[in-house]
Amino acid sequence: MKVEVSRRRFLQGSVALTIAGGYAMSPSEIFASAKAKASAAGETGVKKVATLCEMCVNKCAAFAYVENGIVTKLDPNPYFPKSRNMLCPRGNAGVQALYDPDRLKYPLIRDGEKGSGKFKRVSWEEAYKYIGDKLAKILDEEEDNRSTVAFCAGEGMGEHTFKNFFTGFGSSHFLNHASLCLATTVSGYALTIGGYGQADLENADYVVMAGANRAEAIVTPDTMDFFKRTMGRGAKLVVVDPRFTHTAAKSDKWLGIKVGTDLAFVLALTYVAIKEEIYNKEFVANSFNNFEEYKNHILDNEYTPEWAEKITGIPASEIYAVAREFMAHAPRSIYYQGRRTTWSKNDFQLRRAQAIFSALGGGVDVKGGIVFGGNIPLIGHDVPGPIYDQAKSRIDKDEAAVVGGSGTWVGFRNMVLEGRAPYPIRALFNYKHNPMSNMPNSQKTAEFLKKLDLVVTIDTMPSDTVMLSDVVLPECTYLERTDPVKAFGGIEPAVVQRNKVVEPLFETKPVIEIMKGLSETVSKQLFEITKKYDEEVQAAIEEDGEESVYEDFDLTKAFHETQEELNHHAVSKYEGAADILHEKGVFYPDMDKYFKKVGVNDYVYYPENKKYYSVRNGKFNTPSGKIECKIDSLTTRGIDAMPAWKDEDYKVIPDGKFNFITGRHAQFTQSGSSNNKLLLNLVPTNYAWINKRVAVERGIKFGDLIEVTSKVGKTTIRAYPTEKIGKDTLFFIHGFGNASQELSLAHNNGGNDANILEDIIEPMHGASCLHETIVEIRKV
Amino acid sequence: MARYGMALDYKNCINCRACESACKQENSILLNKDHYRIWVGVKEIEGEWPNLSIASSVFHPSQCQHCDNAPCQLVCPTNATYYDQNGVVRVNPEQCILCTYCINACPYDARYVDDRTTTVDKCNFCADTRIARGESTTACQATCPTKVRIFGDLDDPNSEISQVLSKREYKQVKESLGTKPKLFYLI
Repeated sequence: MKVEVSRRRFLQGSVALTIAGGYAMSPSEIFASAKAKASAAGETGVKKVATLCEMCVNKCAAFAYVENGIVTKLDPNPYFPKSRNMLCPRGNAGVQALYDPDRLKYPLIRDGEKGSGKFKRVSWEEAYKYIGDKLAKILDEEEDNRSTVAFCAGEGMGEHTFKNFFTGFGSSHFLNHASLCLATTVSGYALTIGGYGQADLENADYVVMAGANRAEAIVTPDTMDFFKRTMGRGAKLVVVDPRFTHTAAKSDKWLGIKVGTDLAFVLALTYVAIKEEIYNKEFVANSFNNFEEYKNHILDNEYTPEWAEKITGIPASEIYAVAREFMAHAPRSIYYQGRRTTWSKNDFQLRRAQAIFSALGGGVDVKGGIVFGGNIPLIGHDVPGPIYDQAKSRIDKDEAAVVGGSGTWVGFRNMVLEGRAPYPIRALFNYKHNPMSNMPNSQKTAEFLKKLDLVVTIDTMPSDTVMLSDVVLPECTYLERTDPVKAFGGIEPAVVQRNKVVEPLFETKPVIEIMKGLSETVSKQLFEITKKYDEEVQAAIEEDGEESVYEDFDLTKAFHETQEELNHHAVSKYEGAADILHEKGVFYPDMDKYFKKVGVNDYVYYPENKKYYSVRNGKFNTPSGKIECKIDSLTTRGIDAMPAWKDEDYKVIPDGKFNFITGRHAQFTQSGSSNNKLLLNLVPTNYAWINKRVAVERGIKFGDLIEVTSKVGKTTIRAYPTEKIGKDTLFFIHGFGNASQELSLAHNNGGNDANILEDIIEPMHGASCLHETIVEIRKV
Repeated sequence: MARYGMALDYKNCINCRACESACKQENSILLNKDHYRIWVGVKEIEGEWPNLSIASSVFHPSQCQHCDNAPCQLVCPTNATYYDQNGVVRVNPEQCILCTYCINACPYDARYVDDRTTTVDKCNFCADTRIARGESTTACQATCPTKVRIFGDLDDPNSEISQVLSKREYKQVKESLGTKPKLFYLI
């Protein structure tokens, strides 16, 4: 019987993924499969399951309604203080992610040229064995240098589980979204005020959002807290952005800034605060380190509003006004940190300057300012972290001043491509991550993926990266799995758990089961290679015997317990927490006492006096315990100790060309939701924003197709002429224009920014600068 | 028996369209072009970059106004459009003959032809879905990130909507037409 099945698969031969993976399936067939699964599991009637959304990174709490085994609706779950009883449009569209007919359904192995889209369906065991054999061959050739295999992951609750495999495997290379997203902001604030913190937008009186777009790029609870209070209802909002965003529409003042000049704006605000001595003198005296030097630096360099006006395009009078109003409202004033932030090469210094300016008002670790909040500690579990003597250190460690545990993705990729790596990088494990779409210069990413001997991708959808993989392991969607329980710190901390709503469809599995299955197949096989090359291991075996030494190298150890068991253990010090998390999805100490419904839309999570606003007692989490104006230790690595404007920060946009910028809106989360039927019904495609007057000059009308070309590539997109953008700037939403033909709705839909973005990295963390690309356009 | 209405704190609206998304999912609206029961009205911004009028950029969430004196009900030749016991303007698919008089009569442009039920469909305050199940909120209200909507019984003086309307100023859309809409935009 088994032979026959294999033969039938063999006869199907090299057919396109469409056939091999059963992609031609209609939605009704998907529902039929779902019903079959449900009846097998004996599910009838209606049930309500507490889950957590995974349509973006916020992890809002939801209840899923399941009727006869089919998820029919997702509703907001009011218990989670962070998500405040809401689901955004993407959250509501989670059902479509579950029942998307284009989903990855079975394990696949490439069966044609890389990128040809040809795969054959295999069993899980076949896939694991294929990976094991390939890894064994590579590691044998590389003499057990585990770092020849790299691991990358997208943001998500399963990243932790995937990382446990990485830790056991022993590679130095982990790469994730940080260097494509917020690495500079997180470290800019952390090294300056001792943490990225949380902007207390429920209580701030004055907020500057520069580049951040909380009305469209929703962040919880910031978005929900803040826009109830804007427009003359408690909080003043200044938006500084080259585009007039939905956030700008809610502002008291919008300042259209020239792209990449924010640092000059912040330095000039600082100048006004210092020169006019309107900063919080008591706070500065008690809590600033090296203030005098910073003060002299700002004044001596004459970072005046008049100077900044020439660079930023923002009138000096507006800069004076913002600085004065900010300090007048301080300490309940915030220069908002922002999220996806690496725009220009000076981004780290920009974030440092923001943090220092914000702190000059004293709005750190106080209500209405940037706060650090409380936490609810969970019990961890041990995973083996064996040491492999032959594993070499990161190849990208010198690509920037500080390359942390998540690497510089672009730097890493480019080193491999340019042959600058000190040893070969031969394989990549990729979890829930789509480098083809999320990394600038997709041509290079394609070349990089093609160059590797083995690319294993674990995902739910046939993304552009899946199409360039050698082995595809289909994960189930978030509604089909229980994920690691997680504590969210903050003003109102809580523990949350994503509970499995329905059984996984098709042959998909949660990542924990995938890693368990893979470990069971490859662990011993790979240890044999270690035995062959690792002298430390050889010596240890001689001394203690192989069985005892293997214990430390046993990759399966991290996956002995189920996710449910791990979660139960993690919260075991809180009585009843595991059951509450199962039922309500949310737990925090005294929740039963504190949680109250106080209106049709309103809930209280913590009494005011139990909220965690001030937690530092005047000692910040920095080396000096104070706000760091000057970080001398960075200078040895070529990074300025204090934020300064450099001549190279000036950028000239040649006549007739545009500075390209990218971003998000509320209906899509990057490429991960680009094939979602409900969301595409709301917004069918992305459009290129081009200034209306420029469009008229060039004869471009709404909906006209234009070709956007940069130094590295081109893309085609429809035009949206508008006055919401300046004459020398072009913008479109990230995540569209997917190349994968297996995404039936997203394929070739709109423009792809990864094709045109130049792969420029900044010097601090090697984070990718997303607003440095100059483009030309042509009507087609 | 109730008299359902909705107050909208429309200044909270960020035009994220969670309401539209939740409405479609809750009420099984076909994902076709022009099939929507609720929407957010936007206008082209006034001015030239960088001198733009923030005031001209308003997000106006809207849907059927559930008029007490509904023009769509008046013109319906088959009585397919009716007021239910809670004052909600409803459509009976069995009786609708797709004459589309209601589409023309509605001053709020709240109706569309639904290809699934071949009915001139519109918002019904989730009467046959959530409210029928015993929920107290509509899908659009429940899901809203910034909590624009308050749905409730206008005849109950203790309901939150009655309390809010007694304390805060509001405006109604095209009130002068005598439609007596039951959507209230809080100022």
